[in-house]
Amino acid sequence: MSVISKKWISYLFILPSLVIFAVFLIWPGIYTVYLSFLDWNLISPTKRFVGLQNYLSLFQDPTLYKILMNTFVYIVILLVINCFMPYLLAFVLEFVIVRGKKLYKKILFLPSIISLVVGSMLYVWILNPVSGPIAIIFKKIGIDLPTWSSTSGLVLVVLSLITSWKVFGYNFIVLLAGVSNIPSGVIEAAKLDNIPLHRIFFQIVLPMSSATGIYVLIMTIVQGLQYIFTPINVVTQGGPNYASSNMIYHAYQQAFVLYKTGQSAALSTLTLLLFTILLFLEFRFVERKVYYAGK
Amino acid sequence: MPENKMEWRRIIWHLVLIVFVLVALFPIVFAVSNSFKGLSESYNSILQLIPAHPTIENYKTIFTSLPLYQIIINTFTVATVVTLFKLVTSYLAAYAFSFSHFFGDKLLYFLFIATIFVPFTVTMIPNYLIISRIGLLNNIYGVILPQLCDATGIFLLTQTMRTIPKSLIEVSRLDGVKTVGILRDIVFPLTRPAVISIGIMFFINSWNEYVWPTLILKDRANFTLPLILQMFISSEGGTNFPIAMAISMVTMFIPLVLYLFFQKYILNTFSQSGIK
Repeated sequence: MSVISKKWISYLFILPSLVIFAVFLIWPGIYTVYLSFLDWNLISPTKRFVGLQNYLSLFQDPTLYKILMNTFVYIVILLVINCFMPYLLAFVLEFVIVRGKKLYKKILFLPSIISLVVGSMLYVWILNPVSGPIAIIFKKIGIDLPTWSSTSGLVLVVLSLITSWKVFGYNFIVLLAGVSNIPSGVIEAAKLDNIPLHRIFFQIVLPMSSATGIYVLIMTIVQGLQYIFTPINVVTQGGPNYASSNMIYHAYQQAFVLYKTGQSAALSTLTLLLFTILLFLEFRFVERKVYYAGK
Repeated sequence: MPENKMEWRRIIWHLVLIVFVLVALFPIVFAVSNSFKGLSESYNSILQLIPAHPTIENYKTIFTSLPLYQIIINTFTVATVVTLFKLVTSYLAAYAFSFSHFFGDKLLYFLFIATIFVPFTVTMIPNYLIISRIGLLNNIYGVILPQLCDATGIFLLTQTMRTIPKSLIEVSRLDGVKTVGILRDIVFPLTRPAVISIGIMFFINSWNEYVWPTLILKDRANFTLPLILQMFISSEGGTNFPIAMAISMVTMFIPLVLYLFFQKYILNTFSQSGIK
């Protein structure tokens, strides 16, 4: 039964959000797809229709493949650090350690509330290869730190680590809540049967908390790729030679640095497609609650 | 399994978690420590966490050499206006989604939640054009305008309101209480903890926001804190390091204070955000 008696009140309550979404999200989304078929430079009064030309030039540019590869590497690193590791630690904290749960939660969540610009700045100094504290400690044992910000490959790892500093704690508390919903009797019984911990984790915990797990996995990709924009822009601007750029940063650079609006819009449209696939996976697996055990 | 082995296992996992704790906290301790050191001390004894000659000179410098008061007011204004609007719009939408059925309700809800999956690159060019067209470039209200509602807020508040028993509201409806009365006297008191923690997260996220403001704001006097901080980053370490630490401290101060006071609310609400 409807608790709001008059239907128009419901629409009235939805209206403010709907108007803002329509003007600043849905219309812009459609307009970006439209821009991806035009040749334009963000300033010129004339736009020229070029069909699929922007997509073609995007795919003919070897830079794109480098950036897609970087995006993939970012996703893999983020998933390991921000999905797998907090998952494992949440399990351990809930069922192996038990004590100190509150304190660990409080401290590990703390970086999530701090600006990623602050995080980037602090890690730039902490990991400074010449005068940073880590470099000084390593120098004492005879190891020189590489200049990571200009080393292909390594730069991806460090920028992912900076992003993870912020993202880890949030994912950790969400996963901890998911894991703690598993009836502890199930885990205790498995322990009494001497089933090794790694099997308890992979065969009992993962399936029984899979809705939360998949949610965090998908959000790590969707938000992680966008979060990483900040350290990229603040530390490397996508360099050296696009070695640290990803799809999000490249679209920004095309639009607001190189003024290639069409190519930027084409790349954003592709990103939107990728995220739409993830959205459907989310609805398929999370909203319907995958729960293999029992039901 | 022998109790001894269990105990060892616990200790080892505690050590692993302590490593994570150190990684989480070290940057903050590092910033506090170096923001109170002079330039030469910070270079010569970077490893010493407690300054030998503590000084507040860095803080004096940033407040005199930058329009920092104005920048703090800008950041505060953006965060406050964004938070209030997001709370009101999300609250009303969540109320409609939770307590009534109307044509298109499921589709609209799906559409709202789906917006979480739209990458910001998809909206940045058109929104930049809108803000520029209405003359709000280089103005904090240009930063504020596209952010007056929030899908995550709608989602979390709807989740919370759906836990309220419908019968509670039906009874007051039968007693002739109007929608406004139900909202104010029944639903709001029951959802207050969620409203507080979601509001605080809106505020903190807006306070920290970087990407959209960098597109809109051009002059220092109009900057928010993350933008001014960005000017002090150099991967070669060329700029004044303790000064940069002092600005970092100013940027994180308000979020840290809010977290210290409201951590219980925040942790409870956000733990639940992945559970449907």
